[in-house]
Amino acid sequence: MVLLQLDPFLNELTSMFEHTTEKGSVWVTLKRSSLKSKLQRNKMANGGQTEYRCLIRATDGKKTISTSVGAKDHQRFQASYATILKAHMTALKKRERKDKKKAAVNDKKEGVAKKPKRA
Amino acid sequence: MVYITSWDEFVERSVQLFRADPDSTRYVMKYRNCDGKLVLKVTDNRECLKFKTDQAQDAKKMEKLNNIFFTLMARGPDADVSEVTGKEPMDAQPTKKGRGRKQ
Repeated sequence: MVLLQLDPFLNELTSMFEHTTEKGSVWVTLKRSSLKSKLQRNKMANGGQTEYRCLIRATDGKKTISTSVGAKDHQRFQASYATILKAHMTALKKRERKDKKKAAVNDKKEGVAKKPKRA
Repeated sequence: MVYITSWDEFVERSVQLFRADPDSTRYVMKYRNCDGKLVLKVTDNRECLKFKTDQAQDAKKMEKLNNIFFTLMARGPDADVSEVTGKEPMDAQPTKKGRGRKQ
């Protein structure tokens, strides 16, 4: 499990998407975690400071990378992450409204045609 | 595995799940380019909600959900989450209107 800084993490994530174009999956997990031991957490809770960090992990089944994002970096990470996803999720189907309308019209016509035949 | 068919229901239940137990709730995304499939999972290790799709329009909706989760996780579960993306810009606009010298 490799813990990286934000930018290297994004670069590695991009290369994972590129490697799995023909075969394989990419898993990305998001979880809130301050990455500290119980003692430190108890001290922090008593002191009144609760620092929130988001742990982000990514794997392609073979290699796992991770990074931790705090409130300051999360906006920047969010934007870069969204860009990477948009760029790589090209295999999803685009719903064409024209096809849907044609299918709906065809179904209606078949429905009307069937009824008189049965009668 | 509980697959939810309605996107809005999935979003509402996942946010509820997170707010109920922020320390053990996690959000997992699996994307397979070769199959053209995207699967989302939100679980707190007791209950599991899943959503699968092969539609490009759902990828856009997922991005908004990503933003919601990032905000909740990085800023704390009580953070004000507006499901519309116009959260930060709304704060910035009033200050810009105040100056208006370039007109």
